[in-house]
Amino acid sequence: MKLGVLDSSNLTGGQQLAVKYYTVAVVLFGAQILFGLFAGLQFLAPEFGYNVLDFSVNRMVHVNAMIVWMLYGFIGAIYWLVEEEAGTELVGLKLGNLAFWVLTAAVTVVVLVYLFVQTGPGEIESIWFINEGREYIEAPRWADIGIVVCLLVFFYNVAATFMKGKWSGISGVLVFDLVAVAGLYLAGMFYTTNVSVEQYWWWWVIHLWVEATWEVLIGCIMAWGLIKTLGASRKIVTTWLYIEVALMLGAGILGLGHHYFWIGTPEYWFTVGGFFSALEPVPLVAMVVHAVYDSGVHRFKNTNHPALAWLIAHAFGNFFGAGVFGFMHTLPQVNLYTHGTQWSSSHGHFAFFGAYATINIAMFYIALQKWRGNVYMSAGLADNGWKWKWALGLLNMGVVGMTMALLVSGYEQAFVERALGGSTWAAYFAAQNSVWFIQGMLWREIFGLMTAAGFGLLVWDLVTIGRTETRSMLIPAEAAKAAA
Amino acid sequence: MFEPVEIQNILVATMAGALVVMFGALYALGFAMGKLNKQPGMLRAAYGAYAALSVSVFVLAYTLNLNGIWWGVTLTMLIGYLLAPQAIWKLSVKTHEFSD
Repeated sequence: MKLGVLDSSNLTGGQQLAVKYYTVAVVLFGAQILFGLFAGLQFLAPEFGYNVLDFSVNRMVHVNAMIVWMLYGFIGAIYWLVEEEAGTELVGLKLGNLAFWVLTAAVTVVVLVYLFVQTGPGEIESIWFINEGREYIEAPRWADIGIVVCLLVFFYNVAATFMKGKWSGISGVLVFDLVAVAGLYLAGMFYTTNVSVEQYWWWWVIHLWVEATWEVLIGCIMAWGLIKTLGASRKIVTTWLYIEVALMLGAGILGLGHHYFWIGTPEYWFTVGGFFSALEPVPLVAMVVHAVYDSGVHRFKNTNHPALAWLIAHAFGNFFGAGVFGFMHTLPQVNLYTHGTQWSSSHGHFAFFGAYATINIAMFYIALQKWRGNVYMSAGLADNGWKWKWALGLLNMGVVGMTMALLVSGYEQAFVERALGGSTWAAYFAAQNSVWFIQGMLWREIFGLMTAAGFGLLVWDLVTIGRTETRSMLIPAEAAKAAA
Repeated sequence: MFEPVEIQNILVATMAGALVVMFGALYALGFAMGKLNKQPGMLRAAYGAYAALSVSVFVLAYTLNLNGIWWGVTLTMLIGYLLAPQAIWKLSVKTHEFSD
């Protein structure tokens, strides 16, 4: 094992597969930012890309790239940890590799169709081959089926590996959650002509993925990450994983109601959605107590500074992005004016980045450490670790800046278009042309560029961190065992 | 079913909503630090944050016209934010005892 060199022989089969997923995830993260910048620019210069790369296409690629890079990150993270957690080799590695290439080829074809074909006639063929038209999950039906098949292969690999090896608290939660991740996607695949019914089931995918199954998934990844970076006790982490799952699902499942306020569902959803939405931030707030308790007891001694920094960014980002920015406008009395405005976009940017992008980036750093032969990645890195610190700062400041700028635009929109104008077309255009709305959009683009700079630095750091390092993170006895 | 927020109250209502969660976190932070370091002053500050949270909840309830069945949401927030950190503290202590 040579320190500082990217050597795949340092990795298990599952971890080599994970690195492939991570690589595509980083590429898609870049695509998300690039097409986000294009779409943001079109608010300021509407003629940009007109009839070539329209706003609808840019936005679609932007949000789809986000969903898919996060999924790639999660799948990679689970392939990364599954063998260590099960204590055995990955079952179905060849199948897993095949599924990776099939999924990646499908994603490439879907993106090319989005970019070059874009739209089709309102026929069933368009749904099958061009675009299903459901926001966030626009992939045509052939690709939907492919995604489900690949997720089932992934589920088989993970479940069979645990069945062959050993089960743990983390693996039990993980496998049950994967059933829900694959199963819920089916709710977004069938077509009905009733738009209320259509939206009802569509939200099962969007809300229940994001605010239930994904939260549980990252809970598992976070639990494993804390054991690895802080050396936290497995027993404690597992107990807390169960508590977190109970709290998240307790409030999160029926929190779904806040998406049912305005789609034509029965009125009781106002009360159900309002009540459970009020409860949703409570687990996030309560977890502050546990974080303080644990940091007081364990003093944050760790073996991978960039990874831990991103895990901390995750804790804060999840709290502010999902908790604070979500609850600001989740009750129907105010959501009447804010839903579907840039206010939602402000919440979405902060919450997706804070809750999910951060933890994927933390896992990239954990992977790199082992890929470079368990290289030392704590204090005293080469160049004082300026690249990862600046990437962390620029990405977080960029996203927070975009969030605040979109909040200004969203407030203007809620006020001028909805509250004053009564949601007419005239009011819509009045809001879109108001000074505050445009200024918010300008600042969003500036902070978007800051985010892009942070991403560039992150990629540079991921490629170079630990390259000149000669110290090992392992104590001599562990290093000898690893070499043997 | 519900009465929408008045136009002039949109900003106050949304800020109150954000402050509920922020003061909730400050209360949780102060409570945990006060318990961990055995600092009564910090605990008092935590309850001060809870008092501010309560004010935010009432401002939110007033501006959002939360009446009738919606009082349940107000009470849920007040009770949930008060008790959840205390319950999590007890669980933290017990899980660590259990592990040690």
